[in-house]
Amino acid sequence: MRKIFTLLLLLLVCWVNSALAQGQAVSGKVTAAENGLALPGVSVVVKGTTTGIATDGDGSYQLRVPGSNATLVFRFLGYETREVVVGNQQVINVSLNLDSKSLDEVVVTALGIERSERSLGYATQEVQGEKLTLTKEQNVIGSLAGKIAGVQVTGASGASMGGTQKIKIRGVNSLTGTDQPLIVIDGTPISNANFAGRNGGDYGNLAQDINPEDIESVNVLKGPAASALYGIRGQYGVIMITTKKGARGPKAVQVQLNSAFSVERVGNFMPLQDLYGGGGSQTWRTLPNGDKYVDMSYDESWGPRMDGTPVRQVFSFYPQDPEYGKLTPFVPHPDNIKDFFETGHTINNGVSITGGNENSTFRLSYNNTQIEGVEPNTWLKRNNFGLSAGLDLTKKLTASANVNYANNYAQRPSQGYDGGSRYLVQWFQRNMDMNRLKNYRYDDGTFLHWNLRRPNSSGEITNFEALYWNNPYFEAYENYSNDNRDRLFGDVGLTYQLLPELKLSGFIRGDLYTQNIETREAVGGRYVPAYTVGKYQNKEVNYEFLGTYSKEWGDFSLNANVGTNLYTRRYSSVYQESEGGLSSPGYYNIAASIDRPTNRSYLLRKEIRSFYGMASFGYKDTYFIDASLRNDNSSTLPEDNNSYWYPSISGSFVFSDMLAWNPLSFGKLRVSYAQAGSDLDAYQTAFTYAPGGIYDGVNSLYVPDNLINPDIEPSFAHSYEAGVDLKFFQNRLGMGLTYYMQKNKNQIINLDVSGTSGYSSTIINAGLIENKGIELSLTATPVQSEIFSWDATFNFNKNESMVKELGSESGVYAHDMNTYSRVSVYLNSYEGQSFGSLIGKAYQRDPATGKILLGTNNLPLYTEANHNFGSVLPDFTGGFQNYFRFFGKVDLGAMIDYQVGGQFFSWSRMLAVKTGMAEETAALNDNGKNVRDPLREGGGVKVTGISAESGEEVTAYVDARAYYRTTLGTHVYEEWLYDASYVKLREVRLGYNLDKKTIGWLPFERANIALIARNPAMIWQKAPKGLDPSELSTGSSPISWLETGSLNTVRSYGVNLNITF
Amino acid sequence: MKKVYTLLLAGLLLGGCSNFEEDINVNPNLPSEASNTQLIANAELYLSGLGSSPQGAYYAQYLSETQYPNLSLYNTVAFNFYNLYTGPLMNLEAVLTSKDLDGNEGPVNNQLAVAKILKAYYFWHMTDRWGDIPYSDALKGKAEYTPKYDTQEAIYNDLFKQLEEANEMTVPGNITNDIVYGGNIAQWKKLANTMRLLMALRLSEVNPAKGKEEFNKALEAGIMGSNDDNFTFKHLAEAANQNYWYDQIANQGRYWWALSETLVEHMKPVNDPRLPVFGDPNSKGEYVGLPYGLTEGLDKQDPSLLGTTIWKQDAPVYLVTYAQALFAKAEAAKLGWIAGGDAEAEANYNMAIEESVKQWRNGSTVGVAEMLETPAVAYDPARAIEQIATQRWLHLFMHGYEAWAEWRRTGYPELVTPDGKQVPTRQGYPTEEGFNNISNYGEAVQRQFSGQDNLYGHVWWDVD
Repeated sequence: MRKIFTLLLLLLVCWVNSALAQGQAVSGKVTAAENGLALPGVSVVVKGTTTGIATDGDGSYQLRVPGSNATLVFRFLGYETREVVVGNQQVINVSLNLDSKSLDEVVVTALGIERSERSLGYATQEVQGEKLTLTKEQNVIGSLAGKIAGVQVTGASGASMGGTQKIKIRGVNSLTGTDQPLIVIDGTPISNANFAGRNGGDYGNLAQDINPEDIESVNVLKGPAASALYGIRGQYGVIMITTKKGARGPKAVQVQLNSAFSVERVGNFMPLQDLYGGGGSQTWRTLPNGDKYVDMSYDESWGPRMDGTPVRQVFSFYPQDPEYGKLTPFVPHPDNIKDFFETGHTINNGVSITGGNENSTFRLSYNNTQIEGVEPNTWLKRNNFGLSAGLDLTKKLTASANVNYANNYAQRPSQGYDGGSRYLVQWFQRNMDMNRLKNYRYDDGTFLHWNLRRPNSSGEITNFEALYWNNPYFEAYENYSNDNRDRLFGDVGLTYQLLPELKLSGFIRGDLYTQNIETREAVGGRYVPAYTVGKYQNKEVNYEFLGTYSKEWGDFSLNANVGTNLYTRRYSSVYQESEGGLSSPGYYNIAASIDRPTNRSYLLRKEIRSFYGMASFGYKDTYFIDASLRNDNSSTLPEDNNSYWYPSISGSFVFSDMLAWNPLSFGKLRVSYAQAGSDLDAYQTAFTYAPGGIYDGVNSLYVPDNLINPDIEPSFAHSYEAGVDLKFFQNRLGMGLTYYMQKNKNQIINLDVSGTSGYSSTIINAGLIENKGIELSLTATPVQSEIFSWDATFNFNKNESMVKELGSESGVYAHDMNTYSRVSVYLNSYEGQSFGSLIGKAYQRDPATGKILLGTNNLPLYTEANHNFGSVLPDFTGGFQNYFRFFGKVDLGAMIDYQVGGQFFSWSRMLAVKTGMAEETAALNDNGKNVRDPLREGGGVKVTGISAESGEEVTAYVDARAYYRTTLGTHVYEEWLYDASYVKLREVRLGYNLDKKTIGWLPFERANIALIARNPAMIWQKAPKGLDPSELSTGSSPISWLETGSLNTVRSYGVNLNITF
Repeated sequence: MKKVYTLLLAGLLLGGCSNFEEDINVNPNLPSEASNTQLIANAELYLSGLGSSPQGAYYAQYLSETQYPNLSLYNTVAFNFYNLYTGPLMNLEAVLTSKDLDGNEGPVNNQLAVAKILKAYYFWHMTDRWGDIPYSDALKGKAEYTPKYDTQEAIYNDLFKQLEEANEMTVPGNITNDIVYGGNIAQWKKLANTMRLLMALRLSEVNPAKGKEEFNKALEAGIMGSNDDNFTFKHLAEAANQNYWYDQIANQGRYWWALSETLVEHMKPVNDPRLPVFGDPNSKGEYVGLPYGLTEGLDKQDPSLLGTTIWKQDAPVYLVTYAQALFAKAEAAKLGWIAGGDAEAEANYNMAIEESVKQWRNGSTVGVAEMLETPAVAYDPARAIEQIATQRWLHLFMHGYEAWAEWRRTGYPELVTPDGKQVPTRQGYPTEEGFNNISNYGEAVQRQFSGQDNLYGHVWWDVD
């Protein structure tokens, strides 16, 4: 890396020198002829030189020209280019006419090759950077939600401060669900790894190390046709990120400040009952002296009614507690869970300096984020540095560099069903006063827990060890975990314009990170004290060469590229875990391990060598045909069979030019076919043993349960795509419609085999997943005037992922399973069905009427855990974005994203019901009695169904606890299956623009001050309150199907200030 | 600039060549070769689990659940045996089929003999629980992903043969890395013959002639001679090798297990010196059993919980013991399989009880003589089989699966049937077999249990 810095230093020096150049100053404003509105981003170049600048937000520019004979060229996409001789003018205002023929945009395609949109035979969709940072979302993947048709983002609660944002492009394309797209930033592929599991801290996906403020645009290559040039890494699509750069031109320096402050509040609490408190029965337990006491051995709320009865509560059993021995009223604490959370806040400050001159460009940025979480004692600190520079060494040779550094330090809350504070909605007492638990440590150093064993025969508690759960504040302040990461990624390269039509470039691209994770289990809690520490390091380097040839001969045009790439990866990790406890409280180090600690080290090396070429032929700028071919050699494949070819072909036809129908400004048809692959992990082809337990100095070894297959091949996708792009009324209305089909073959499957063979699974190539779908993207500018304008984008994707073949005798593929109280739920795929079926226990039903069958005790009967509830995947997804501008000053942006269909199981809801916390467990029945009242007094839950024994219809009342706790809450997963449909208002921004031209005394060029709201409202969801179907990502697990103690929804409101000097 | 081109050209060439560094895809994280005794050691680590099963302890009705009665109500039907095949058995198979056994780890023959004995132990344990299981076709990896089920009779016959071979193939010299007997091959031989003896007795109902023959061959070959020869998994006072119950009770705070009323009723009236070991006194300082399978009013109970000594971090698990062999001899004498009649039976019975107490009480025999004089325990020729079976059941405390097998064979002691729930007579095959090995599984279930894969089929030797 030292070399890169030397180069950068050099660039910096050159830039400063040339900024001192002199000449004649010219300024002015560029407007659009059709409506007189300012045109920002127009390129203004001195003809015959590389001197130039882009117009700013209000269309104005300022530059120096060599002399009065200079000519300025004004160029803007979609408009006719104009040339103006400077003469002796100092102010040159220009209005540009629409060019109906070139309503076209340049898009960045695979390998960073820039192409005009009209020539592309496949779908890509782009989002501009300012639409990603609308409300200062920190994770670029999260900010894509709803903005691109065919891209589904599953998020995590803001409480994790950068938790996992999972992305799927065009449904599920791999049987294992591990089909994350490749993330490429300025041509550099970077890691989007994830170190989080279902339980514990959610450290999030690593793409969040990209500073959102640095992003110029994101372009999504959705299918293999677009990503075929990435070959063995391109099967699941590519997210191409382009960062902001400086511009060539004499206006020396532009400084931008960006500051945001927001407060975060927890919302969407699950409705709970406030009538009955802790315990297992409504009968009071008494001490030998006759005092009633709250049963602290129950982590449930099936206890007596909270009617103010004076009772001994758990605090009164601690001799060191001021309430020791005292009776206090037994009353509800309706907000006891809410009371645990704090108001969090996020402070985000950034600065960027952009500059450039005739032969260099430069941009430096820094961003700092500090978050105080909504859970006690959680925080995150993040720093991002970015530097991008380009320098023309000679007229033909340009050097460039992009360097990004990020670090993160965080203390995050635990998610999952048995970690941190997540048990509060699952296993708790409604009478517990959270504020009493807050001082979790007495002055004498002992800890206060609420869940203890019952008092002994003399009415005292002597064992103050937490029974099932620690005090949540003990979890927050003693059992905290930390993670930090240093990340460096970027590239250096040289580009040589050998001939006007031939460009050669070479790049070295790197991505390095070191991730550290520490977890603690303190002395004085429910579990054996423990400390774990892990260090994970990854280094990926790509060496790349590309030659580009572009030429036009009359009506014919050619764009050809050949390149080669060497990819190397080295990943290593060291993990240590204490065993048998820690030697002294508060000393968290592996040296404190009482028994021999667990130690693991790991090393992975991998290389891929590639060759590729593509050519695009155009005729009359109307007909285009593209073909590409890539060859990959991967070191992880069997030596004698490690070379694979990936071809693609596509064509497009711009028919609007021939129609000459005025309302249609642009119309294109496109079709494509491509093959792409996905690679194997390292070390999958040679047999090894594995180290097992160690007993008194004897190290054991074992035969692994998974049988290696030395003949394994990479998986393979065939993709077919056809679409049409239309633009009407000078771009005021646009539509992109795509139909696609992708056949994912040769899946690398861990096939379960009978364990009696000595192995539980083996790796095979089998299976076929077929994805079909349509994508629709509509853009419109219904109103456009000085007073009011409105831009809207609507995205829609309907996808179907079918499992056509599985390659196993059983026709079943088991993705995942989980068990609670010995009742299991499964995520399976079946041959001939949609991907990912949810399996569990359902009600037994009368085949004739569909009514629930009741047992002899009138409780519902349920099936074995084999009922297929259907696919986990949504029917369609998309988003709706609106931007309004009033009087050119006030901006309003609102982002909505939606999902229809899809389903999940929720343990949080199931357990809230099982433990008598949920609202319905203390509701009134149709007799006007509480369901917990005795049956003989008209209480009980009303059930209707058909008696399994007599076949007669039955309406009866059953004991609430037997119904909710023993039956529904334990067995009937049909009740805990929820539809994941939702419509969410994800982001709102209301901004006001100020500039020096209207307010002369401003010390800066312009500013924007805005009110921002992130995640302000769930407009509609089918699942009950307390669950958030848009935040189901469970760490790194590929498919979200089981909600188990997700962190609470967080709503964020703040202000954002942008200043440009 | 020439350098740049050279670099670019080099890059181009670099990408093109497909020969990688030779060891780039050789896994540095895992060994590609294994020591055979280290594989045996791993197979031995699984022994702990066989003797620490709550489910086994419920089938034998040693323990009652104090909190959430579930397993003790026989709610689980299917039990997985995959981990035994993929775990210890596959390691042992790797040893038995190894082409490069290393004499530096002890005589090759002895390595093979120990692997054979352990393999036989696991299969014996497994066939007694499930019935017919994959045996001759099993553990063949890619060559056979759907092994057929061998009959229990065929498995027993082959295990007798394997144990005999193991006994005969040994040579002087210990092996390394043995965490059970410290490599002592003489003790492994005694184990092999004692296993054979106990397996032979298992045939007392289904094929007494074969049982008697194997029993005497085993005796002749030389069985265990003291508690020192016991086949025991000795846990260590460290997290990695600790007793299962220690983790459950001490670490996880699960005071979920009380002595069953059935157990206490057999021990308390005769002042059995093992009772204070098996259980702890209740809050009133008394030994009170909890009725097995109780689901109502558990809150109000004050039973004796599982004894602190039993769930000490390093408390051992007893798998095949000297006292067991003595009980077997007592029963064989009573059955007339060996000479000596009631006198021989009584002598072995009394000795078995004494050795059992010594095993459980660190060699102490305090209280044994008194107990042997109580009418319930004193050898009575008329109730000899019941007495032997009952005392054996007490002796086998916590090794539930073995005790349950003996209960199925003899019918003693009398166990309770809460809510009419009968004690199971086998365990269901893993549900996964219904997916992964469909036809062989179906055939085995049809052949033995008329298609009903539940808890109440009878295994081959269990004839009523």
